[in-house]
Amino acid sequence: MGTNYTVNELIVSRAAKELKDYELVVIGQGIAMAAGVLARKTHAPNSVILTEAGMFGIDPFKVPLHIADPTCSKGFTYSCDMIDIFTTVVNRGYVDATFLGVGQIDRYGNMNSSYLGDPDDFTIRMTGAGGAPEFVGYANRAILTMSGGTFVDKLDYFTSPGYVNGGNSRYEAGMPEGSGPTVLITTKGVFKFDPDTKEMYLAGLHPGASVEDIRKDVPWDLNVADELDATPVPTEEELHIIRTFSPEVSMGRKLQLEVVMNKVFALLSKNA
Amino acid sequence: MQKFMEPDKRMTAKEAIGQFVNDGESFVFANCLYSMPLALTHELIRQGKKNLMAFQQGGIEEIDQLLLAGALDRLALAYNFRAGGPRITTPLDRALKEKQIVVEELTNHTLLSMMKAGAMGYPFIPVLSGIRVSDVVKRRGFMGDQRFAEVTDPFTGESILVIKGYNPDFALMHVQRADKAGNGQLWGAMINSKWACLAAEKVILSCEKIVDTDVIMSSPHLTIVPAHKVCAVVECPWGAHPSEILGHYDYDFPFRALFFGSCANPEGAGAWMDEWIYNVADRREYIEHYISRFGQDTLDAFKAKSFKSVEADYGSTFSTDWNENGYSRNMGMNMDEFVAMLDEKGALIHGN
Repeated sequence: MGTNYTVNELIVSRAAKELKDYELVVIGQGIAMAAGVLARKTHAPNSVILTEAGMFGIDPFKVPLHIADPTCSKGFTYSCDMIDIFTTVVNRGYVDATFLGVGQIDRYGNMNSSYLGDPDDFTIRMTGAGGAPEFVGYANRAILTMSGGTFVDKLDYFTSPGYVNGGNSRYEAGMPEGSGPTVLITTKGVFKFDPDTKEMYLAGLHPGASVEDIRKDVPWDLNVADELDATPVPTEEELHIIRTFSPEVSMGRKLQLEVVMNKVFALLSKNA
Repeated sequence: MQKFMEPDKRMTAKEAIGQFVNDGESFVFANCLYSMPLALTHELIRQGKKNLMAFQQGGIEEIDQLLLAGALDRLALAYNFRAGGPRITTPLDRALKEKQIVVEELTNHTLLSMMKAGAMGYPFIPVLSGIRVSDVVKRRGFMGDQRFAEVTDPFTGESILVIKGYNPDFALMHVQRADKAGNGQLWGAMINSKWACLAAEKVILSCEKIVDTDVIMSSPHLTIVPAHKVCAVVECPWGAHPSEILGHYDYDFPFRALFFGSCANPEGAGAWMDEWIYNVADRREYIEHYISRFGQDTLDAFKAKSFKSVEADYGSTFSTDWNENGYSRNMGMNMDEFVAMLDEKGALIHGN
């Protein structure tokens, strides 16, 4: 008897396991928020979720559209602003973990969410930095997810710091000792970072994925753990929580836009 | 520093933008993602304002709309929503490629820190130094070296990253309620609002509802912008649509999808701008047009249910030291005895 799930649901289920109980976590939207909520509803009921917009202790009943969407929660416990979050919370070291979706990533977990191609002659401008550089720079751990992004040898634009040039270079640049990305979850597998060199290595495989297949996506000579973890398939309970909370995350952005546009066109033709 | 002390600043969006916005000025959105001042933004577009410089913390559709209208030539930007994958070219992509605008890339924290330093009257402010490795700091846009710098911490001798303060000419802001003098009250996602509106030289404020000053007096903790900063107050129901504002309405995702779908090519985007901005006179007509296109029930589905904040009691005895019998609670005497005491102690000056 097999369980049927989408690739986003698999990522959410795996990412949720990275959160521990009693943690303070900064989460944005989408896959990350679904993972945070799944963790709170399963093994981490005492974790506290806050967003960059200053909404502290939200209890989201649906996935927020963006980091400042208070309609996702019936109230919250502390209303502050973005300066407060980055200074009194992030800079003082209170953030245990943050999540980040990845556009482009290199072997040391540095990320680009700004430009694809030469910034002076780019192909597309992505969203821009937003809060990513300071969150990934200063949260104790960063949990990275990547569903449409790419691995590159050299970033087109260095937006957010992972381990910079590897080794201790991140801490020498001014970021807190011991902080940094701990895991990257993609559509095919799970990657972690070597404790000394800080280079990314393949640590686990999703169902159906192979090391050979993943090597094709990675432009450098990827290190692979001696024993690879097998990502567990989401349980029926997890799938129920994810789909109730965020059908849009289950289906993904592309399919969501298609479904919503169909609804808009139906409305327009009805009222034409 | 100009103060705005008039007790009644109510006017229409058309009057406010016409009177207080000049071509070539800089401005900041004093909301970010939440409660966006879209009615004011659309009026700016209708009036054909040009060569503006925008500070945008994080946006969804307003920057694309201003670019389609040709209103901006400089943009300081931390985040802008992107609909669709690499095959789609957005209005921002096109404006940058065609050199319609120049851009300065910032992070959410550093852009808002520019506003905070400006609001406080400080020349610069420290930020989180570790991001010095990012291209956001290393590469320079149109602001050149007038943005980030490294200075020596005088107490530790360490080098720290700072950002320069900035005071935009005006801010556009939308809130739940305000009085006619412009004391504006906002709740929900506070994000950038306080520092952005205080940084600006003047604030053009729209609100869902104008209320009596008594309402403001009983809830000053909700006031985000004080009246002396505000040059115009515009009552404008649905003034943030399709963004959300607590107590009034949720975001309208299908309407946004329609805009971004239209933006796939310049012709579609132009048609959207005509239909929803140029061919309506104001926000009231925009909402009437919405109802005629999508139906009243579609709009009503976004209306908020009530979840009232428990009242903060601002009460006291509301009495002076003199009680209802005319006796002082602190001195145990009445007014006549008080005056006699002053005289006896030689504290009274006897006039002619």
